[in-house]
Amino acid sequence: MAFRIFRFRRFSTQLLVLLAGLFAVVQITVYLLVSRVNERNAIEHIDQNLRIGAKIFRRNLIERIDYLAATAKLMSTDYVIKPLLMTDESQIDRATLQTVLQSYIGRVNANVISLFSPEGKYLGSTDEKRGAENARPFKYLVEQATEKDMEQASGYSYLDGQLHVLVVVPLYAPYPNVGAWFGIAYPIDAKFANDIKATTQLDVTFLSNADEDDPRVLSTTLAPGMAAIVLRHRVNLEATGTAPVEMISLGKEPYVTLFERLDLLGEAPVRIALQRSLNVELAPARELEMIVLIISLAALATATIAALWVARGVSRPVQQLAQHTKLVAAGDYSQRITLPRADELGELATAFNQMTAGLAERDRVRNLLGMVVSPEIAAQLLQSDLKLGGEEREATILFCDLRDFTTFSEKMAPTEVLTLLNRYLDRMSGIIERHGGVIDKFIGDAIMALFGAPVAMADAPARAVAAARDMAQALDSLNAELRSEGKPTLAFGIGINTARVVAGNMGSKTRLNYTVIGDGVNLASRLEGLTKDPAYDTLIIASEATLAGITPRPFARELGEVKVKGKSDAVKIFALTAKGETKRPYSV
Amino acid sequence: MKPVLFPLLLAATLSAGAADFSCTVTSSKGEPVADAVVSLVPVGATVPPVAADAQVEIAQQGQEFSSYVTVVQAGTKVVFPNRDNVQHHVYSLSKPKKFELPLYNPGQAESIVFEVPGLVTVGCNIHDWMICHLVVVPTPWFAKSDSAGTAKISAPAGRYRLEVWHPRGAQAARELTLADGAATQESAVLTLKPDRRVKRPVGGRSSGY
Repeated sequence: MAFRIFRFRRFSTQLLVLLAGLFAVVQITVYLLVSRVNERNAIEHIDQNLRIGAKIFRRNLIERIDYLAATAKLMSTDYVIKPLLMTDESQIDRATLQTVLQSYIGRVNANVISLFSPEGKYLGSTDEKRGAENARPFKYLVEQATEKDMEQASGYSYLDGQLHVLVVVPLYAPYPNVGAWFGIAYPIDAKFANDIKATTQLDVTFLSNADEDDPRVLSTTLAPGMAAIVLRHRVNLEATGTAPVEMISLGKEPYVTLFERLDLLGEAPVRIALQRSLNVELAPARELEMIVLIISLAALATATIAALWVARGVSRPVQQLAQHTKLVAAGDYSQRITLPRADELGELATAFNQMTAGLAERDRVRNLLGMVVSPEIAAQLLQSDLKLGGEEREATILFCDLRDFTTFSEKMAPTEVLTLLNRYLDRMSGIIERHGGVIDKFIGDAIMALFGAPVAMADAPARAVAAARDMAQALDSLNAELRSEGKPTLAFGIGINTARVVAGNMGSKTRLNYTVIGDGVNLASRLEGLTKDPAYDTLIIASEATLAGITPRPFARELGEVKVKGKSDAVKIFALTAKGETKRPYSV
Repeated sequence: MKPVLFPLLLAATLSAGAADFSCTVTSSKGEPVADAVVSLVPVGATVPPVAADAQVEIAQQGQEFSSYVTVVQAGTKVVFPNRDNVQHHVYSLSKPKKFELPLYNPGQAESIVFEVPGLVTVGCNIHDWMICHLVVVPTPWFAKSDSAGTAKISAPAGRYRLEVWHPRGAQAARELTLADGAATQESAVLTLKPDRRVKRPVGGRSSGY
């Protein structure tokens, strides 16, 4: 078949491949399916976590801003700074102001606190140099807050090249009159990133704007090499709304990544990358998958063993049956299969044994038939349906009868008689068969043989005559043997006739005989009887019809005519010698 | 009658020569405690008044008080000179003496007389980390422990109440007698509380803002 790629020589292999294969396919499919679903779930889960993480991050920043603003408001109500500002801006005691602001640092837990005029002009800072250098974004915030009449303003900016969240809070003198602005900044540094990671379990990386001349990692919870990969990753953050998560491979480990933008004061926005390792997220699922895999493999192994066991359970009896079939085909019916099984195979074995027994029986019958009847008749019987009735055909019938056998047998022991008779009949029937004749039956010491029935043959009369002559010669040699054995000799007579007879199975429905009947048969018997007449002086008498059937017609001594019972015409009869006549014999 | 009797008694008690006293102050962990105030307050005897010109200085320099712990006899004048380059606003809310020296410029000096014995904790209103302790004792016999935790006092023989005080812990007073010409050794073990002073922000302590 076209679709068959493999041809299995062994049923067990087929069953094994089928069972174990199917099982493996199911297991692998389930495993892959579960693995895929796990991975998809993990990604979805991370996606959610990342978005929650982004919110936490924003919330965290807002809280920082609120905290800074709240503490700054406390400072703004402090009395001591006010006297310092009760003078012209140019006259302010900056040294004392700086120490006062330093004192505030301890209260606020900020790194640098700066003071700005209501217009955003830098007045002083805990760190004069840094304060002055980084005054610009604060001024921007002050202007923004003044413009929008806000009680505080915040934003993100680089200070000293590092990302900070900036807050400006007014110093009311008195409320709501703004006497000055405090400027506080809080660094968005590695510590901040680690704080976010501690709450969200997410890796956080702050990246400068990708369009800068020298894009850099601002701060990260990742290893430097990994952060560099994230830095090189191009992402379009111009689009508003939530960006889809991306998969970034860091050191062969896939990280689900969410990019967010953080707008700066008057500068290009920076990027925030929130990430979580897929492997870490998948670890529990992978562990489960591993267990499933181990169970699957164990189950597969068990299935294979089970399949092998089943296959052997099936194929071994089948092989046994095949072996027996070969034996049976070779004619050995002696073996029997022992298969103690209750299933179909057991039934098959039983049926097989019965079949073998049946075959043996049939063979035995056939052999017996071959002995009881002649092989040709046996064949005829076996080939054709056994039915009564027959066909008319021409056949040559040979009768051979021992002379005075009844008186002969009375002189000997019955077993001896039987032995002798069998010896004689064996010789004769052998000759008849050699010449293609068929033993129709033994009638006591007499033999009835057919030539041309049941198998038609053209030279049946010639065969019959040749057989008769050989029989006569064989009797001579048998007599010679008997004489040497000191036993009495035998004599017989043979009658041969050729006629149309009815050949077929005769008898009752349960017991049949293949034979021929007709006047021609009776004549052959009568001709045999005539050989007893000393006047004829011959062992073999054949009818005109027989001799006429032989080409060339053999020479024979004509014995005259005999009347056949039930027929008006007389039949010419001839005597034949054992050796055969080479010239025309004398006539009586 | 009584006012006459007391000076006589005092004369009797403290008339003898000086006696050497030393006290070793250690923490409960066995470490020597410096800056502990050890004072001997006479029991049942009057105390000689403080000298009229007695003056102690607590300066402001480098945005710190010059001394963390200062001991004075009651009635001593304490001067607070500003030797700094920034203004200061020195004050105290302690019971023995509440005062305020509003913002005053470098070079200026203010002075206050502390009459009532007790602990006066002094701070600067604009510099949270500035703090000092002024211990006003009713006796001229006092000393501060050195780095080895040892405080040495030379006082007349007589009965005294030993008081040991430190910003982080004090010991209950106990009485003792100093014998004439004999050295008396005492020890005090203080259970120190954690140091809770405001840490001074160091300028540029962080790499960034």
